[in-house]
Amino acid sequence: MKALIKLSLRQMTGRRRLAVLALLVALPIVLAVLMKVLNTNDPQLHEEVVNGVLGGMLISVIMPIVVMALATAAFGNELEDRTLNVLVLKPIPRVTIVLAKLSGSIIVAAPLVVIAGIIITLVGIEGAGLRGVLAAMAALLAGVIAYATVFTWAGLITSKALGFALVYVVLWEGLLTSFLTGVRYLSIRWWTLGILHGADSNAFPNFGQNNIELVAAIVGVAVVTGGFFYLTVRRLQRMDVP
Amino acid sequence: MSSRQATIEVNAVSKWYGSVVAVNDVSFQVYPGITGLLGPNGAGKTTLLHMMAGLAGVSKGEVKVLGQTPRNNPELYRRVGVQSEHEAVYSFLTGRQFVELSADLHGVPDKADAIQRAIQSVNLLEAQHRPMGTYSRGMRQRMRLAASLVHDPDVLILDEPLNGTDPRQRIEFNDLMKRLAAAGKTILISSHILEEVETLAGSILLMVTGKLAAAGDYRAIRAKLDERPFKVRIVSSDNRALASGLIGLAAVESVALDIDGSLMVLSRNVAVLQQSIAKLAQEKQVRLLRVDPLDETLESVFTYVVNRS
Repeated sequence: MKALIKLSLRQMTGRRRLAVLALLVALPIVLAVLMKVLNTNDPQLHEEVVNGVLGGMLISVIMPIVVMALATAAFGNELEDRTLNVLVLKPIPRVTIVLAKLSGSIIVAAPLVVIAGIIITLVGIEGAGLRGVLAAMAALLAGVIAYATVFTWAGLITSKALGFALVYVVLWEGLLTSFLTGVRYLSIRWWTLGILHGADSNAFPNFGQNNIELVAAIVGVAVVTGGFFYLTVRRLQRMDVP
Repeated sequence: MSSRQATIEVNAVSKWYGSVVAVNDVSFQVYPGITGLLGPNGAGKTTLLHMMAGLAGVSKGEVKVLGQTPRNNPELYRRVGVQSEHEAVYSFLTGRQFVELSADLHGVPDKADAIQRAIQSVNLLEAQHRPMGTYSRGMRQRMRLAASLVHDPDVLILDEPLNGTDPRQRIEFNDLMKRLAAAGKTILISSHILEEVETLAGSILLMVTGKLAAAGDYRAIRAKLDERPFKVRIVSSDNRALASGLIGLAAVESVALDIDGSLMVLSRNVAVLQQSIAKLAQEKQVRLLRVDPLDETLESVFTYVVNRS
């Protein structure tokens, strides 16, 4: 398992890729700092940081992009380079291979996204405190794990995993949830926001948004993570490895 | 042969992808020693090896390796080493790191010694610390072989392991395989080049268009191949004079004049024919312009065996 995770990390942490991802997560941090510095007395600042920077930018756009770039490549690159047989021809259960690949994506993506979330919370949200920080950590970690599981599965079943991930994020989560509010119960973005709001409603109030309930969000993350993990293992067991 | 225990058993195995049949009702056993799996490209060799390695499921029939089904049986890989056809490697790893990865994933005890032995066996100690992305094709193949050997498997399944290797590397490879076979290992090597396994495999399996065309002792099958009539096209300064002489040669079955004026000679002994033509040309004072053996493709050789069997 250790050797597999190490391999996955080396595959995912190319200098250029890490630099681009770090730059991406730096954007909302810089924005939050600028907003704080330039609008010290703005009564809307709290709402703008929560809805605009944390929810609108980090959770809705940057988190899925960061995880997408890593998780779709976890198996995608192995299939493209035809190296997957190097892993499956070893005395390792397929579940361990999937776990290692998934862990690799999460180990790289989570610190980037979670640290960005914590900084934005501490800088932009007055009186967020420890609870606010923990809420941001928990919500973002849950989001990263759920996205990583779905996108890892996509990387194994299709060579067009990036396209699939973009359609899910842009069309399903971005467009459809704004027309059909019920679809929010089937959206990783809205589960993340639901956990954020549910864990600390003072630091992250609704501000008129139709957030979903904490329990529903936790159940959603658990079901999708467990379900897609199972599907990925089953796919790896049943597929003909090139 | 039957008194020995087969290490690989393939029983009435078929594999199809949609309406395309890749392997059609194939049965054979593989015993300790070296067995060559031969056939032209597209004959179904890789599909068959993938089923034996557990990389692909069978559509029908049964495959057993060391008495176990290889599909979804990772524990079996503790005793089986597989080198797939694709030369893909993790180019960012050095050769040694690649073999070490294999040792780690196999849970090899005394890892350092095992890695050293495996790399030494393929004669790549000097290049072991270079990234595999900088290796030649032949070096990549050899380092991949080292990775397949690092856990000292009882069964080795090698898909076109000689691709990209030069003659010297082939000799080294043959020596290594012979040593492993002498140690009681079962080695199955696929190739689309008959001569590659000629000096290596005691027994061969011949695949043609998804079917097993012949199986058994290499020499017996080779003798069958040598018996087949070869077509040779000859162009000379005086084809008619040469033809009259060729008809009298024992190695020649028939001689015909082609539309373009060249001679089409049918022979069952090309080696004798080659010597005789030169001598005959000298006697008849004819200048040989071209001597082209036809029907030399593997497909034609294998098709001949299929038709004969």
